[in-house]
Formats: sequence, C-alpha cells, structure tokens
Amino acid sequence: MTMTHPGLPDAWLWFAMALMSSSVMWVFIKTAVDVSQKHSIQLERIPVIGLLVKLFAASPWPLIIFKFISVALFLTVIAAGLWGTPIPERNLATTLTWTVWWAGLIITVFFLGSAWCAVCPWDTIASWLVKRRLWRRADESSSLGLKVPKAWRNVWPALAMFVGLTWLELGVGVTTNPYATALLSLLMIVMATIYMAVFEGKAFCKYVCPVGRTVGFYGQLAMVELRPRQQQTCDNCETRECYHGTEEIEACPTHLVMGTLTQSTYCTSCSACTMSCPYDNVGWRVRSPAVEAIQHARPHWDEAWFMLGLLGLTTFHGITMLEVWEKYLSRFAQLIDDSGQLIMSFSVGMLLVFFAPILLYSVLIRLAQSLLPVAIDFKQLFAKLAFVSLPLAFVYHIAHNLNHLIRESRGFTDVLLNPLGRDTLPLSSGELHMRHMNPLLSEQLLYGLQAGLMVFGFWLALQILQHRTKEALIEKTTWRGYYLLPGIIFITSVTAFNLWLLVQPMIMRM
Amino acid sequence: MALQQEDVVISGDYFLKLLKIILVMVLFLLGIAAAQAHHVLGRPAYSLGADSNTPPSMQVETQIGDFYVTYMAFPAFPKPNEQGRVNLYASRIDNGLPFDGKVTFKVRDDNWFSNEAETLGVQDIDDSVYRQGFIFQEEGDYIITAEFSSGGEPYQIDFPLRIGEPVAVGPIGITVAVLFFVLITVNVLQRKRRFSLKAKRAREEEYS
Repeated sequence: MTMTHPGLPDAWLWFAMALMSSSVMWVFIKTAVDVSQKHSIQLERIPVIGLLVKLFAASPWPLIIFKFISVALFLTVIAAGLWGTPIPERNLATTLTWTVWWAGLIITVFFLGSAWCAVCPWDTIASWLVKRRLWRRADESSSLGLKVPKAWRNVWPALAMFVGLTWLELGVGVTTNPYATALLSLLMIVMATIYMAVFEGKAFCKYVCPVGRTVGFYGQLAMVELRPRQQQTCDNCETRECYHGTEEIEACPTHLVMGTLTQSTYCTSCSACTMSCPYDNVGWRVRSPAVEAIQHARPHWDEAWFMLGLLGLTTFHGITMLEVWEKYLSRFAQLIDDSGQLIMSFSVGMLLVFFAPILLYSVLIRLAQSLLPVAIDFKQLFAKLAFVSLPLAFVYHIAHNLNHLIRESRGFTDVLLNPLGRDTLPLSSGELHMRHMNPLLSEQLLYGLQAGLMVFGFWLALQILQHRTKEALIEKTTWRGYYLLPGIIFITSVTAFNLWLLVQPMIMRM
Repeated sequence: MALQQEDVVISGDYFLKLLKIILVMVLFLLGIAAAQAHHVLGRPAYSLGADSNTPPSMQVETQIGDFYVTYMAFPAFPKPNEQGRVNLYASRIDNGLPFDGKVTFKVRDDNWFSNEAETLGVQDIDDSVYRQGFIFQEEGDYIITAEFSSGGEPYQIDFPLRIGEPVAVGPIGITVAVLFFVLITVNVLQRKRRFSLKAKRAREEEYS
C-alpha cells in the first residue's frame, strides 16, 4: 500500500514567497558587504562545546573511539544487509543507511562541516587495512603512493559516482533493499582501499567519494571552519607541519596548507593539522555561514558542474517521490516499450532532470554575458556564478530529508535492538498509519523549518550572486541592478520549483 | 617555498598495468552486483494485509507492454518443503480490465549456468487472479516465469523467489579476496621497488 506524506500547506508557501520577494528587493537596494572576517569566534571559547573541542584537540583517542563506533555500526549494517530480513523497514542496513544516516548527514554539515569525513568508516577501514596503524604516520611503503594522474585530479569521478548512486538509490531501489545496500557498502570499502593502496593521501575522498564531495561542497555553507588561530603565526612558519606532517602525524591527506586555506571543500577534518602544528595554532571557529560560497571559494569548471549536478539530483529526489512521476514514467515506458523496473525510462527521466537546471543556467549565463559591461569568458562566468546553486541544493536537500527523517525514522530504536530484523513481520497498515500520524517533530514545526530553509537558501543564493557578480566586474564599472537579472531568474525559478515540490504530497519510502 | 612532495618515478607500463588490475577488479565487483539483480522486475515489497488473516507476502508490481502486473508470493519467506502460492494479477494499462486468458507458470534456478525451466502449471483466471501453488524441496534462489499471450504478443515476466535463508558468504568472500589481492600486490610491488632502488644506489656507489 502506498502512503504519502502531506505537503507544505499553502499558508507557509505564501509566507516563504513574501519573504523571498522582500529579499530580491533588498538585494537591489543594499550593496554587497565583505563577510570574510565578520563574526568569527573560536569554538574553544564557547562554554561546553569548547570543552569538547579541546578534548578532541588534546588527544587522538576521542576521535579513534568515534571511528571504532562508526566502523562497528558500518559492519553491523553489512551483516544486517547480508544475513538480515529483506523487509527494509525492519533491517538496520536500510533504515540506518538511508533513513537516518543519509538523511541526517546533510543536516549535520551545516553545524559540523565535514566532521563526518573524520569518522567515515570507508576511509577508516581502508586506512587500517593499508597503513596498518590506528592513527600514527604509516610507513611509506604501506602504499604505492603514486600521484593521481593529472587528468583525474578533478571532481568529475565524484560527480559520476553521485549520479550512479542516485540511479542505484532511486532507479534500482537500493534504499529498500538491505542486500543491495550491503553490497554497495562492500564496494565502497573496496574502492576506498584500492585508491589508498595505490595513490598518495586520500585521493578517493578528494576526487571520487560522492559523499565526501557532497559534504565538502555543502561544507562551504557550514557555520564552522578549521582555520589558523593567528594568521601571523602561519605566515611566519617555515616548517609547515600541517602540510608535511611530522614523524608521528600524517601530512595533510588532501594537500592543504593551513596558512593559505580559504576554502574547506577538500578538508576531511582528519585533525592531522591540529595535532601536527607545533604552535597549537589550528582550531575550529564559528563563522558567518556561506562565507566561502559568497566570497572565498575559487571557481573551477569541474566543481561548477558538481554543484549544479547536486542541484539537479536533489530536485530529482523530490520529483521521483511524486505520484505524478510514477504516472508519466509509466506512460513513457509504454511509448518506448520499456518493461519491468522501467530502468530505461527512469534513466532518461533522470538525465532530463539532471540537465534541465544546467541548461537553464547556461542560457542565463549567456544572457548575463550580454548584460554585463565587460567581456567575460563563458566558462569563467559559468564557474564563478555556479556557487548560487549550492544553497539552493542544500536547503532543498535538507527540507526534503527532514520529511524522511522526521516521518520515517520512528521505530528506529526497535531496529537498533534487532538489527537483523529476526522474526519480524512487515509493517502492518496500522503501524504504517501510526508512524505516519506520529512524526518525531510536530508537523507545524516541520513546515516552519522547511519554509524557513527555503527562504534562507534563497537569501544566501542572492548574496552569492550579488557578491560574485560584482567581483566579476572591473572596479570602475558603474553598478547596475539589472546585471543580477539572469541570476535572479535562475534562483527564483529553482526555488519556486522546489517549493512546489515541497507542497506536493510525497510518497513514503518505507 | 615550493610545496612539492618528493616525486615518485613510475614507468608508464607499470602504471597502466596497475590501472588494468584496478579496472578489472572494480568491473568484476560491479558485475557481481549486476548479476544479483539481472532478473529483478519491479521492486519487491513486503506487506502484511490490512486484516490479520492475510499472511505476510512478498509483492512485486511491474509494467510490461500493455499490462500492469502484480505478483504476490505467500508466504513472504518460504522455506523448503513448505506449501507456498504465487498470485498474479494482470490488468490493462489503458482501461484497467483484467487479462482473462491462460497463464503458464514455470520455474528455473537463478544462476547463469542453468536455463532448464520446469513447468509448474497452466492456470485459468479465478476472481481476477491467477493462483499457482508450489513446494520446493531445496533452499536456493529461483526464478518464477509467468507466460501469457495477448493480442498476438507473447508476454514473459520473471520474478525472483528465495527459498530458505540467503547465502551471504559470496559477497564477503569476494570482498576479502579482492582486498587481500590488492594489499598483497601493493606489498610485493613495494618490495620490488625498494629492492631495485637499493640495487640502483649500490651501482651508483660502485661507479662513484
């Protein structure tokens, strides 16, 4: 029996739209401000949180304990997937992976940045297998340590993996198949281990891992960052242990130099720099969210595609959970004589939705080129303004995931107590109904969060657009509000469509 | 200060070889994953009827040609020597009318090396449903095939059926084997590299 989650009520929709209209007007009136150094506070100075941060900085053991917990849970997921019940809602493999972890992970990025990567079980298991050390610097001969070929030093593999993961998730239905979830987990371990055994550092995390890159790019919008406490100390440092490592501590696995770091996209929060810095000059700080996306992050062609890809695929997630999608998919399948799981029809639909925002964006970039008073190369402008898609994807991703997390994770403790789902039966209609009627948070709070998130994302995207458009112009050029028009059309169209998706009833996954 | 790590000199052949090994292993693993799913039509779902008299069932909904087909297996997790039943509903997509011809049910092992199918029975429609009973004596993965013909077009639909507990040693075994292979290969290559480096140094010392 298919059950649906109710969509966002109209009142919240109008509320969001009113705030969005005000935001557009605000952007035309207000000039872009420098947000780089505003309101950053060292996390250690905040009560309670500061203690925790100090605890993690003082010794590698708290992180190792977390890694053990994460690996233990991950191995349980594999065991549950392979030997547990195939009923998805009763098996830890599917509930923990897709309903709790994958849905919750994106939310944690805003508060914790790329902290997940520090305890990621794929990387941890690969490190333990290849380096055969819990945390100390490994013998150089443990890995071949090859440099990643130049042609592979980009995020195209990660984008391809993300597209593949989405296809498996929504097309093949891995999210409701514990056995396939376990196979996917095993495949990730194998890939991470091969990469670690062959290449230097964490090439898998940096170039291939779809989760790591998603976390990395969304991390540009996080409210925390790992940075030098005193810039002067880094400027005067000649040994750069953060980059080279020490005898005991690994070098930065993604080749970042703390003193010049302005973008956290490739930081895996592994804490090597915090432990290796002889001046204890590296620490976490709270910052103005999205400062990187607005100002600091450097544009790259492949990264721009990844960010736009994220936007297309998050929107696609929402589309596939509409009843109307099923209807059109079925009609299209008849048209092309597709049968069974309708994989071919699904793949075509996925490609269309993936490329739709990119196509719209490209057309609007062409328009922006013609409106701007200076000649800017298409690829350059495409990459520079692609950051606007990040907050749009991020907020919709969270708003959509909140539905799964809040409405579908009830009963998770039962699954934790019986991870393999031994002697369990599928959810009865009564249970399904009860779950549906008793979300973890009140519905009104959920709606408020969703609407608020959409407005927040819209606002951030406008900020990015304004700042990056101004940055693209020569200083002496007179500023005209209409330079922003193509960008505003893009931001408004995407947000309006995503809001429409949130208003629609969404099919329950499990 | 130039932030360059010491370059590792690797010959092109050596790198290509490694690349091939990795590619073959990844493709092999992907192939295994695909093999597990090559027959799956529609997505299996497990449900308990609204009234408690209905036993839990495994249900797959799928679309083929002009028909929506729903397949239900009772019980959801059949065991060897246990009576089970397959229910099949087929209705036209355009007008919802049920198919009312004959449906032939066949069964075969779900593996690459056996294509021998055994006919379970030919069923007529009964209250819009085609019912086919079964008893399997051995645990394993089977494919139930439902065949019918409509408007001169033959229809053949495969559904997976698992009897007994799944065997999960395969994926774990393959993963462990691949990991061992990778780690041992890397170890051997590193030893060779170290050995050739030592030999090179010794030669250089000899000449100098």
